[in-house]
Amino acid sequence: MATIDTRVHATTVSERRELGPGVVLLTLDAAELANATRPGQYVMAIPPSGETAATALAVYETQGKLASLLFFTTGKRTRELAALHSGDRLDLIGPLGNGFDCSGDARDVAIVAGGVGIASVLLCAQRLVRLGSRVRLFYGARTAELLIESQRFADAGCELVETTDDGTRGAPGFVTDALERAPRPQAIYACGPTPMLRRVAQIANASGVRAQLSLEETFGCGIGGCWGCVVPLVRASVQAPSFPPAQAVNGDFVYARICREGPVFWAHELRW
Amino acid sequence: MSTVPSLAVRLGSLELPYPTLMGSGCYGTGEEFAPLADLTRIGAIVLKSVTRLPRLGNPMPRIVHTPAGMLNAIGLQNPGIDWYLERELHKYAERPCKLIGSVAGFSVDDYARVCERLAARAEIAAVELNVSCPNVASEGETFGCDPGLTAEVVRAARSTTDKTLIVKLSPNVTDIAAVARAAEAAGADALAVINTVRGMAIDVDAWRPRLGNVAGGLSGPAIRPIAVLAVYEAAQAVRIPIVGQGGIETLTDALEFFLAGASAISIGTANFTDPRVPGRIVTELQAYLARRGLADLGALVGKANQGFTTPHQYEGDEG
Ligand SMILES: Cc1cc2nc3c(=O)[nH]c(=O)nc-3n(C[C@H](O)[C@H](O)[C@H](O)COP(=O)(O)O)c2cc1C
Ligand code: FES
Repeated sequence: MATIDTRVHATTVSERRELGPGVVLLTLDAAELANATRPGQYVMAIPPSGETAATALAVYETQGKLASLLFFTTGKRTRELAALHSGDRLDLIGPLGNGFDCSGDARDVAIVAGGVGIASVLLCAQRLVRLGSRVRLFYGARTAELLIESQRFADAGCELVETTDDGTRGAPGFVTDALERAPRPQAIYACGPTPMLRRVAQIANASGVRAQLSLEETFGCGIGGCWGCVVPLVRASVQAPSFPPAQAVNGDFVYARICREGPVFWAHELRW
Repeated sequence: MSTVPSLAVRLGSLELPYPTLMGSGCYGTGEEFAPLADLTRIGAIVLKSVTRLPRLGNPMPRIVHTPAGMLNAIGLQNPGIDWYLERELHKYAERPCKLIGSVAGFSVDDYARVCERLAARAEIAAVELNVSCPNVASEGETFGCDPGLTAEVVRAARSTTDKTLIVKLSPNVTDIAAVARAAEAAGADALAVINTVRGMAIDVDAWRPRLGNVAGGLSGPAIRPIAVLAVYEAAQAVRIPIVGQGGIETLTDALEFFLAGASAISIGTANFTDPRVPGRIVTELQAYLARRGLADLGALVGKANQGFTTPHQYEGDEG
């Protein structure tokens, strides 16, 4: 849900770093945003040119008055953002989305990140470690040079399990295979491509572990106004006041907006 | 000139302080955009189209970004008119701007019944008839593509309310002037021109359509020239005011529409780029009129067409 803190923030790029091929970390001077953002929330970056749609990006890290965004350049919109330099202005809408529930009652936690999904889970990992949980990060990418920021998570106190599709680092294969082989955690947090999340949901649901999945989708507005980003939820799991169409429509599922009711959903409420 | 130029506009009996409508389906209920835009400086919000029965909408994906625009195929997801009136609409009453209800349907009777119930509500200042939704397996758009059916829908809806009726036309026709005339003759107070343009995108890795619904509606700057021409042609065919739309993002874009013959404009997709766009256009439009020594928007409407006579919907005009 958009929070009372959601607004347009005028920020300034304080640092731009390339972490890997096509992987950019933008650190922004954004005191209010940094202060208001909870783990798993995101922003809509308003394109400086005004020529493309705004882009949804996870808030990777916050520190004092700084907030950073970590993204892969995959198209026109991310290329425009990747071209920004220190001192440039970037306007953002945020913080947006419900974020992860990191209340910390699970002592042994698995975080599963695939590819750019890593950008959504650092704040969550830091919070859980601080609350005293054991945090294992299962982190998969296509190839070694795309496994970025592992050290950052290790420094934060996570145990690392890395995988690459091509076996150039860590265990070869999918990150979900590594998750399945490992001792069962008490809670799972995950962000990554949809096939990975589906598999995490299967593993979690089959073993009765509660899992929170942060979904990715092509957004229109990114703030709940267009119904372009929906995901089917098991109808019975939807609470009455949260969104009315559930009760008005017959059928065993309802569509929730990923940008508004999510992006984080419980694995057991998704009707995949 | 010392007086501030007026941006006020009248659509039938509906008086708006600004000529900027927020496009149906693009502005939610207004609540989503309230923290990001000054709703006191927009003309009105056109609410998401509502149908007689609840609709789940189309399967995902529903949105694809394309060069200079986007395709959408939402499929009119909405809770249906019963739930909408009982549980939703009262929540919108607090908005600091006027609300225009939007009706979509699959029969003449659908349109008339939903229009009647919606228009009866105090929260609703006017009703837009969406006879041009391209995203519901052709049925929705059938009405807007046929002058006879358009007239039937408008006549039936007209008999249910005295509030302003705006008829939203489809660009996916060979002769938009004919549909415009039919809507006017059947009692429309204004026309919205245009709805989205039918389109498709294909995933060449998966060899499949990108949208769950296969076809979608194209919006954004990509359709602006199509929209400007449609407004130009429709404006010459009717005397009622036109709400121009399709890819408006800047003052220049807005001016194109006014000069083509629109009396007001609607902003949809641009809100997804930057929610400050409508506020910026209003400020710049006011400055533009002042700079040119023009008292109101009437001085611009249709001026790209030398034979065009301005409809009377500006403050100070007679009739
Ligand atoms: C995501 C999305 C949803 C839309 N939903 C509706 C709708 O429910 N009813 C309607 O009449 N028009 C709908 N439209 C059309 C817009 O109101 C507008 O007429 C069109 O997009 C052209 O204007 P634009 O280029 O400024 O967006 C929708 C457009 C978009 C992009
Ligand atoms: S992207 Fe518009 S509702 Fe989610």
